[in-house]
Amino acid sequence: MSEETIKEEELVKNLKEKFGDAIENVIIPRKNRVWMDINQNIALDLMKYLKEHGYYHLSTITGFDEGEKLGAIYHITDHKTILNIKIRTSKENPVLKSVLSVYPVATSYERELFDLFGIKVEGLPEGRNYPLPEGFPEGVHPLRKEVKLDELNKMLNEKSVKED
Amino acid sequence: MSKMQIPLGPQHPALKEPENFMLVLDGEQIVDATVNLGYNHRGIEKAAENRNYIQDIYLIERVCGICSHSHVSCYIGAVEEIAKVEVPAIAKALRTIVAELERIHSHLLWLGVAAFELGYDTLFMYTWRDREQVLDCLELLSGNRVHYGMNTIGGVRRDITKEQVDEISKKIKYLKERTSYYVNVVTEEPTFLARTQNVGKLPKDVALELNAVGPTARASGVDIDVRRDEPYFIYDQLDWKVITYHTCDVFGRAVVRVLETIESYKMIEQILKAIPEGPISVKVPWKIPAGEAVFRYEAPRGEDIHYVKSNGTEYPERVKVRAPTLSNFQSLPYCLKQGYLADAVITIAAIDPCMSCTDRAVVYDINKGERKTFDQEELRKYSIEFYKKKGISFK
Repeated sequence: MSEETIKEEELVKNLKEKFGDAIENVIIPRKNRVWMDINQNIALDLMKYLKEHGYYHLSTITGFDEGEKLGAIYHITDHKTILNIKIRTSKENPVLKSVLSVYPVATSYERELFDLFGIKVEGLPEGRNYPLPEGFPEGVHPLRKEVKLDELNKMLNEKSVKED
Repeated sequence: MSKMQIPLGPQHPALKEPENFMLVLDGEQIVDATVNLGYNHRGIEKAAENRNYIQDIYLIERVCGICSHSHVSCYIGAVEEIAKVEVPAIAKALRTIVAELERIHSHLLWLGVAAFELGYDTLFMYTWRDREQVLDCLELLSGNRVHYGMNTIGGVRRDITKEQVDEISKKIKYLKERTSYYVNVVTEEPTFLARTQNVGKLPKDVALELNAVGPTARASGVDIDVRRDEPYFIYDQLDWKVITYHTCDVFGRAVVRVLETIESYKMIEQILKAIPEGPISVKVPWKIPAGEAVFRYEAPRGEDIHYVKSNGTEYPERVKVRAPTLSNFQSLPYCLKQGYLADAVITIAAIDPCMSCTDRAVVYDINKGERKTFDQEELRKYSIEFYKKKGISFK
């Protein structure tokens, strides 16, 4: 345990004691940064625990496409240390649970997950698209790796020509 | 009096950018507000994955026309962390100068916009005239007024000369004098006080719960600033303080911004007195080793956060940008509620919104509480039918 990262190591130790094997691949690259993969089942409990312990700020949610799996990184911070919590889901049926009950600010971040990656978020109330515009081709989630830029441009250009 | 709903934006004379607020009014009082965003999605994150790291610098710089240096520094910070690059001291100093000049530019611009929204056009003219001095400094340093192109991975692209230092010092001296006058205006001018005090209240606990950042949070007494909490560049070597205020209203947000500008002058003066020597950048290979990093940066509007993932090639696997305004928008409906329609615009302006946002019309039935969304085609049909009934035909 290096002196610089005592706080981070302590936090990881407490989380491991409470949630056990559901937390994997913990990396503490430097002071103020913690990376971990977690099982979806414990997501809400873990976030509740973090919020009670000062990690009140959900900076953002980053969606990602790893080829076989989709997922999201929740960047949670107490304004000093950022915990980057990765949750993965299958590409065939991508579903994640909404974290709105813990972090009420997550609405737009979770809408982004659906619009850009096609990850369904269970528990997110119906609403308008964000950030994709109205009329964007349905079922196309631009940040997925199989969506190529040329094809996307072609599709969008053809669409606007047709509409005119 | 029955309740009514007014859409504010996306195209509205008082809004500087496309954003939509659905305000439900009871008389003059706002009882409910919803924010709708996403009018100008440009797909920058997808574009970033299809360009190499150097091309991305210029792409990311165009995320915003005001905090261009903020976004690019944040992106570069993450890339440098993955590549484990040690940036030369002079490059850090120059990045800090540009960052603080940008903050002054942004805050003076904001003060002008806020004064304009209040109908106080004299202050608007004054601040925007003085803002030109900051833009001149930036042009002198980088050759550009808006997208500076100062940054590169591993350092900066331009050195600073003795003449530039003298010229910038002269301009900073002038601006300092002018800003102390603005501090007086903001804290003493009755017109300004009457329009801003107790408007757009955001108590500290709500600011924390709704994740407000930057001057919006600091005016509610939340003591956060990335420059101090997780120092980057050379902020840990400078003598400055984080400005917080306790009034939790638009007035507080104005005070925080003008006082922060004064702190920025102090920082720039300190750096100009002792600019380190040496090469301005180190060479970084085009291919960045595999890895991922998150970088936080205190932009003029609050915490900017970028996530970069590399896969060992010259193209990034993923770049994620979270601008401070998105975080501040969460608390805006709270600020608007219980306020008056006349104050709505200044309350919105007080978080200094900066976004790239295409809309559809929403019809809200007050009695049933129902909401119907029209798409462009439906709305066109509806309008044609509407005018036909009035005897006006469209062919």
